Amino acid sequence: MYIEGVIGTQPFVKERSLPDPRESAPRQSESTRPAGEVSLAEAYAGGELGAFEQLYKLHGARMKSVAWNLLGNETDAEDAVQEAFLKAYRGRGNFQGQASLATWLHRIVVNTCLDARRRAKRHPEDEAIEPETPDALHPSSGTPHHPLRMALEKSVARLGAKQRTAFVLFEVEGFSHAEIAAMLKISEAASKNRLFEAKRELREMLKRTE
Amino acid sequence: MKVECKDLERALREQEPAELAALESHAKECAACRTELEEWNELSVAARTLQRREEAPWLWTKIQARLKEEAQAEQERGARWSFAWLWQGFAAHWQMAAATVALLALTVTSAWMLTQRTAPGPVTPDAERRLLTDKTLKETETAEAAYVQSIEKLAALAQPKLANANTPLLANYREKLLVLDAAIADCRRQAEGNKYNAHLRRELTTMYQEKQRTLEEVLREN
Repeated sequence: MYIEGVIGTQPFVKERSLPDPRESAPRQSESTRPAGEVSLAEAYAGGELGAFEQLYKLHGARMKSVAWNLLGNETDAEDAVQEAFLKAYRGRGNFQGQASLATWLHRIVVNTCLDARRRAKRHPEDEAIEPETPDALHPSSGTPHHPLRMALEKSVARLGAKQRTAFVLFEVEGFSHAEIAAMLKISEAASKNRLFEAKRELREMLKRTE
Repeated sequence: MKVECKDLERALREQEPAELAALESHAKECAACRTELEEWNELSVAARTLQRREEAPWLWTKIQARLKEEAQAEQERGARWSFAWLWQGFAAHWQMAAATVALLALTVTSAWMLTQRTAPGPVTPDAERRLLTDKTLKETETAEAAYVQSIEKLAALAQPKLANANTPLLANYREKLLVLDAAIADCRRQAEGNKYNAHLRRELTTMYQEKQRTLEEVLREN
């Protein structure tokens, strides 16, 4: 049985020989990783379906939330999560444990969403015009009300992909800049920059709608 | 740490905790910065309301079904490509070395073919240069087949990475390989209709070399 709980997050090992500003960040080795995650990682690498169910229980809802905010509707978000789990299954041999499983899975789902957005741009007739309003469609979603929420959701949908991703991961989902850097393979400074640009743009958009 | 109005943007951009704390203190006495900071923080509070945490058990059922299909397909592929599995057990640098040896053999054979032309017959010297004899053609085809086989083994090794191309770089490699495969298929069709054309054979070799390099780069990608 795997131990449920918050899984620590660390950046991936650098992929290229270029200098990596994340290099100095501490790595998580098997000896410092919680035992539950080690066994879950092993089961995942072995392709055990039980491990995938456990991963879905731990991260599925958050992955779907990320996908929903990046793609703007629930159907595409569910497709993206499904696709991400398939990719995670096919790519389990590439998981070397330098990153946490949470970072690894979210990285896959973010890339899946970005691919889907690129495809939608090539076929604009398939692209959703407005984001769904979850309160209207899912009155039981339980999301707390905020006067800015509707306007913010529409404004986020109009952000560029980079800014939108940084904003969703940091401000909506609460990932750290180190985790975002690992997911997007950028530096922490770049992650902070993208977030700043996103917030500045959002504030301007929100002021125009007032 | 002392922060002034002019430092506001930098502090918000860099998000250094000490600087942000100093900015908070400064904002207590500066109405303009206080408004900026309040609006900035309000955005963060509103952002959290976009978080969705609905349980979706039906989604897991769908994912599970797809994963089972994938596992089944993987098993079938495994049985079909048992030789490829054996090849994968062979260290990657040896695989690359084997492909390089095959490439070398193909290059040497091609060079030899071009220099060792047999009796001219009725063709002109210029045409003769472009045409291969039956013997050299057979040698070329043998060397080429060995090289293609090596590349296919590399391709089988790279296939799982390419199938799960979850980085833009791998996606680019995948697209490049698709383009190369299409070009190779096209060139092969032409070469089959014009078997003695040395130029087409050279083009084909160049494309195979490019494919080999690309596959090696894919395998080096972590």
